Amino acid sequence: MIEHLRAAPKAPARVVVLGASGFVGCDLLQHLRELSLEVVGLSSCDLDLSRSDAAERLAGMLEPRDAVVVTAALTPDRGRDARTLIHNLTMAEQIAAGVALRPCAHLAYVSSDAVYADGINPVRESSWRAPGSLHGIMHLAREHVLTDAARAAKVPLLILRPSLLYGARDTHNGYGPNRFVRTAMTDRVIKLFGRGEEKRDHVSVRDLSRVIGLSLLHASVGALNVATGRSRSFFEVAHLVARLAGDGVTIECLPRASAVTHRHFDTSATLKAFPTFRYRPLDDGLSEVVKEICAIRA
Amino acid sequence: MTVGFAGLSHLGLVSSIVTASKGFEVVAYDGDPELCRRLGGAQLPAFEPGLAELLAAARSRLTFTADPALLASCGVVFFALDTPTDEEGRSDLAPLRHLVADVVGQAGGEPVLVVLSQVPPGFTRSLADDLFDGRQPDSARVFSQVETLIIGRAVERALHPERFIVGCRDSQAALPPAYRKVLEAFGCPILLMRYESAELAKIAVNVWLATSVSVTNTLAELCEAIGADWSEVAPALKLDRRIGPHAYASPGLGIAGGNLERDLTTVATLATEHGTDASLVEACLANSQYRRDWALRNVHSLLVERNGQPLIAVWGLAYKPDTSWTRNSPALALIRSLAPLAIRAYDPQARLDPAAFPHAAQVESALEACRGAAVLAIMTPWAEFSTCDLREVRKCMAGNGIVDPFACLDPVSCSNVEFRHLRLGSRVAPAGLQP
Repeated sequence: MIEHLRAAPKAPARVVVLGASGFVGCDLLQHLRELSLEVVGLSSCDLDLSRSDAAERLAGMLEPRDAVVVTAALTPDRGRDARTLIHNLTMAEQIAAGVALRPCAHLAYVSSDAVYADGINPVRESSWRAPGSLHGIMHLAREHVLTDAARAAKVPLLILRPSLLYGARDTHNGYGPNRFVRTAMTDRVIKLFGRGEEKRDHVSVRDLSRVIGLSLLHASVGALNVATGRSRSFFEVAHLVARLAGDGVTIECLPRASAVTHRHFDTSATLKAFPTFRYRPLDDGLSEVVKEICAIRA
Repeated sequence: MTVGFAGLSHLGLVSSIVTASKGFEVVAYDGDPELCRRLGGAQLPAFEPGLAELLAAARSRLTFTADPALLASCGVVFFALDTPTDEEGRSDLAPLRHLVADVVGQAGGEPVLVVLSQVPPGFTRSLADDLFDGRQPDSARVFSQVETLIIGRAVERALHPERFIVGCRDSQAALPPAYRKVLEAFGCPILLMRYESAELAKIAVNVWLATSVSVTNTLAELCEAIGADWSEVAPALKLDRRIGPHAYASPGLGIAGGNLERDLTTVATLATEHGTDASLVEACLANSQYRRDWALRNVHSLLVERNGQPLIAVWGLAYKPDTSWTRNSPALALIRSLAPLAIRAYDPQARLDPAAFPHAAQVESALEACRGAAVLAIMTPWAEFSTCDLREVRKCMAGNGIVDPFACLDPVSCSNVEFRHLRLGSRVAPAGLQP
């Protein structure tokens, strides 16, 4: 559950986005600018958070009235091993130290639903957090690191835990809508594990940006899952993508490597936090992605 | 014989009036002189079916007073203050302890002292020890008695109890004659047991009921997902002798009212302290919280294609029909969660606090609440709602969505006037939304 420190929306003085060149950071920058907010995006080129002097450099860039959004992370496509875990934790350590040196007005951390235990449904913010992967452990550890730092520095902290994200500029190419769209458009084929029975809650990165935007306007604190509340099987998603990509896309079923699991979300907390917010339906979101990819290619 | 009651919240009020109706002279004490004055004028603080009539009939045998000294004439004094709980269901026993200390200190005499309030196991023994410093003859006149009132059916249950459960310091000893005389006036079995057993018996009843509610809600949700209908399944359960016709087999919006939650929380706390497994209880509490938001999720599901600021009509504010109580009311939880969307609400008895709900307006008729509404949520199944003219409701509303968790309205009739009607335990056929 989250709580709004500002009942009426009000623009923060400035928003600093860490990880601005990433999939989430890029989209967020664009959305915040559409909201006419003053935004500064910092990518690893501007500030390498894995360096030992990153905290001091970050502190030197922050203003007390800033809202800081942390999207910076090495994603699983860059490695699922211990080295990646340590690298990501080092980044969190530097951010925490930077906030301690220069407390800001609001801190938002984009975590992941990977922090939750597998096989518990429906997932809600109070669900048992027992990650089954180093990626999930990384996000959970970062949540703790930033929570401690924010508490010590008296900085209001928001933690957002998005479900599977999709969007045209996704760089991860993980199994799901993003990869389905790419392979459908390039190879005219979508490959499913088994019959794609697993149900997942797919969220447009645009909707994540909108939730972050609302949270910044309301100075929200606490933890909130970012999920639509409607899970769809990969099989359904594949057929949807095949339809959107035009004729001649075939769906292949590959041998399954792991057991079927499902994930569903109880979105009551989002409905309470943002009663007028609506997630875009998956059909509409994927349609936009296909159009956007076509435009990029053209 | 005169019987005393101390603490005139719902439990004390119902119990004292019912005892007077059985022919006993009753002194009913509360520290609030204004409450006593209003009760003396037959003004009840809350609506409870049949209570006003019973009060009128027994009025001559009742003395409402803010003077505890009047209890000195009583052979038995019942402490019947409802135990307040916080939002997590934790009991605050301090007001009850103060009440007992005040009355025993000021009333004098040696009446039988009966704790009727909702207390956790161990409370009565510690109370008796504290009051009488462990002196056997004095502490043996302290008893705990289990109440099983149900708000909205309190008079009926108090007049015709299934049994009395009495906790004693010595369960082999005979009850004091004065106390026995009061209990025997109700003509039901009297079960004597040690304090802790009686206190746990009350909790056991409520936990048992809470698990029934949770099981029902779990399966009702599954019905909504797979296309079964709980209204068809439930009769099969009730005809099973191991379950029975009075089983809590109707789906609801979690566990409402506060009493069951309080006892679940008590068990969870005791289990943590003593290292016993309470995962079932934790699951009941989590499921209750989840199901409480059923209406919220479904109102939003009907609003999903609407833009702007739709108006929501809410019928029912009380936490259940035939009462004006709104504590833990799912209706108020829904209204709070829908802010800042505009709400127009109606309830035959309960009132909405405008300061607490500035986005909601209370109106004086069910139809008025519906004017221009995108969605209607029927949050308390008052009987009058089931007889409403659906065509008139349909004409009034801007939208065609009804969230009716308790199935106040007939699904077929709703369908006939093209309402999209959502109820607990049943999946609605997909249909388009009205603009």
